[in-house]
Amino acid sequence: MSGEKVRLNTEWLCDCGGCHVAIVDLHEKILNVLEDIHIQKCPVLTDVKDYPEADIGILTGSIRTEHDRHAAIEMRNTCKTIIAFGTCAVYGGLHGAGLAHTKEEIMDYVYKTTPTTRTDFVPSAEITGLEHQVIPVDEVIDVDLYLPGCPPHAHYIFESLKTLLEQKEPKAGQETVCAGCKRLMKKSEVDAIKNSQEGMPDDDICFLSQGYICLGSVTLDRCLAPCPNHGIMCTGCAGPTMQVLSEPNHDIRTEVSDRMARLTAIDKDTIIGQMEKSAKTHYAYAMATKMIGNKPTFLIQKWIADVEAGK
Amino acid sequence: MSKTIKIDPVTRIEGHARILLECDDSGAISEANFCVNELRGFERILVGMEASTMPQVTARICGVCPTAHHLVAAKALDNAAGVELPPAAKLLREFMYMGHFIHSHSLSLFVLAGPDLVFGLNGNMATQNIVGMVDADPELTKKGLRLRSLGQKINETIGGRGIHPVTAVAGGISFKLSDGQFQRLQELTAESVQLVHELAQKTKTMLFDLLDANPVLLDRLNSESWYLGTVKGGKLNVYDGMLRPMDAAGASRQEFAPEAYKEMMSERAVQNSYAKEVYLNMAGGEQMYRVGPLARINVADGMETPLAQKEFELFKKQFSTPCHNAVLQLYAKLIELVYCCEKAHELVNDPALRGEARVAADYKGKTGIAHIEAPRGTLIHEYDIDDRGIVRAANMIIATQQNTAAINNSLKEGANNLLKETSDEAMLNSLEFVVRCYDPCLACSTHAIGKMALDVDISKGGRIIRRIRRNTNA
Repeated sequence: MSGEKVRLNTEWLCDCGGCHVAIVDLHEKILNVLEDIHIQKCPVLTDVKDYPEADIGILTGSIRTEHDRHAAIEMRNTCKTIIAFGTCAVYGGLHGAGLAHTKEEIMDYVYKTTPTTRTDFVPSAEITGLEHQVIPVDEVIDVDLYLPGCPPHAHYIFESLKTLLEQKEPKAGQETVCAGCKRLMKKSEVDAIKNSQEGMPDDDICFLSQGYICLGSVTLDRCLAPCPNHGIMCTGCAGPTMQVLSEPNHDIRTEVSDRMARLTAIDKDTIIGQMEKSAKTHYAYAMATKMIGNKPTFLIQKWIADVEAGK
Repeated sequence: MSKTIKIDPVTRIEGHARILLECDDSGAISEANFCVNELRGFERILVGMEASTMPQVTARICGVCPTAHHLVAAKALDNAAGVELPPAAKLLREFMYMGHFIHSHSLSLFVLAGPDLVFGLNGNMATQNIVGMVDADPELTKKGLRLRSLGQKINETIGGRGIHPVTAVAGGISFKLSDGQFQRLQELTAESVQLVHELAQKTKTMLFDLLDANPVLLDRLNSESWYLGTVKGGKLNVYDGMLRPMDAAGASRQEFAPEAYKEMMSERAVQNSYAKEVYLNMAGGEQMYRVGPLARINVADGMETPLAQKEFELFKKQFSTPCHNAVLQLYAKLIELVYCCEKAHELVNDPALRGEARVAADYKGKTGIAHIEAPRGTLIHEYDIDDRGIVRAANMIIATQQNTAAINNSLKEGANNLLKETSDEAMLNSLEFVVRCYDPCLACSTHAIGKMALDVDISKGGRIIRRIRRNTNA
């Protein structure tokens, strides 16, 4: 790369801040990146508050308020290439699970129900321009590149920035978390689903073969599979694969149950039923995206309401 | 242009930071509120999820202190199950946490406060950031970033991931450390101890130079409050122990276990903000208190490791107990950073570290309560779990939230002293400085003093009588 430095803007919308920590976490590498990139606006690193013209714009977080909407539009207007960075920006993220509740329900719970709250009113402060629900970034502006992950692994961040600096098209790997998992898939005679806390899972055998629900096979690898390689089932934090998203009749629960039924002696419908009962857990990161929400068989609000009613 | 400030792990400020001041009939400020204008509502969102995922899910409340939420959630599940963890599990979790503290405190000291230390308070805005620091003091900056990276690598090696770790589960830790990982941890801790020895003195000198150059920093912001922190055998501890309150005069009060938090703490909603205030129910009333590094140094009798203990003694010799001055939070953070590096080194050399790290834990149908000291202060989680293992109710007391009442009180005090100031800019700078000293969360701390975008509304009987605005590009 020669000549002018590439100008970078970053902005955070409604999120936990972790994606920006991930950017800072390029650590010493950031000093090398700085040689080619001029970081103009970045909430953690610089004091620039307006939106200067830039070559690359990184947006983290989803849209929750009018401010978020405005910030996303400003970024689109000033940046040549927009990257929706992190699961919240791409799919809405975990607080997208607020979708299952009305604003009033959430307020009443936080201000009237929690045991340590001695007051009995909801603050009169107005949330300026609160959207009805959490909205992924591309429902408001055009996005050029998607980098989901909660947060994306430094390997993917660095690779994507590097490719952009070299003015190449970043390659979008379509591998699932299974690709990086060292566990062995094999047919078992397990005949009942186990709660993730039941028993001590074997370290070398696929979780599905053992009767544990793991989302590795339906989740895009933007993490290098740390969970299954450390004894934890994948919870789908990087969001679903293209296959799940693009086919109307495919879904997280249909794909997982299909695979798990073939690997065990558990009936497919039993697995689907169990996943619907735990929908809030299994769809936690992506339920706010229309790509999931518009599927004809996706009845998340009903599933969650049923569980809460004790059905 | 508007600016977003994240004020605490669960909420953040939308657009401008807003300070609302209410006048009484005599014209004095009767109420001040630092306003938090967004709510994600995690306590409600968690209801209906599988309890086993709480350590992963709650980490997502805050990307700045995910390991604090991750570990306290696992501790709450242990508490519900009533299990005693194997020694290796406790050691590994505490070791993971030392990595997180090194990472978080290094960010705060070297990346966020660093520019103020290197350039002073009136530096050039364009270079007052990490990029400018690399040019001005490459050695300090590189070593600071390196220490932060070592912390994150320790966190990641034990936690599986650095941001949003995953390995703490009910009953312990979900994997066994391999020989390669163990050897790596030995190298990482050895290097961090060496680095912190090199950095501590220099950072301290810079901080005291800053204080000498700006005597006003030590003169102001000494408003009194109670303090709360965690001690184990009287020594400062961030992973486990008893909660120890200290009154404003410096007397330690009756310690309590986290299970008693509902009796000991009261949350109060305020009309103008989404952040609730928290008070300690002690001495016959509701006491305003502070949490965080300064609070922990105030309540502790000493430190567990040698260099940290030496610095602790110097701190106590120089400042009173309790030390009310919010600026000294930075010094308290430095002592804790030294402690965490030394403690990590102790933990890696503990032979029990490589033992069995997980026992079965059944929390179904039970309630779990636990606490931990997050980098910014005491954090409490509670879950009611049904007999299918689903969360039925959740409650959390977040670190920054507990400082809200003290921030509001300092704002009230500050504003009353400033009402006669004719210059709007002077008023804004002073009020902003009050807020920043409490280190509410990452975003606020990133901005040089005097540069925060603020709205201040002064009202009387419901009508705004004076409005001061500072736009960000002014």
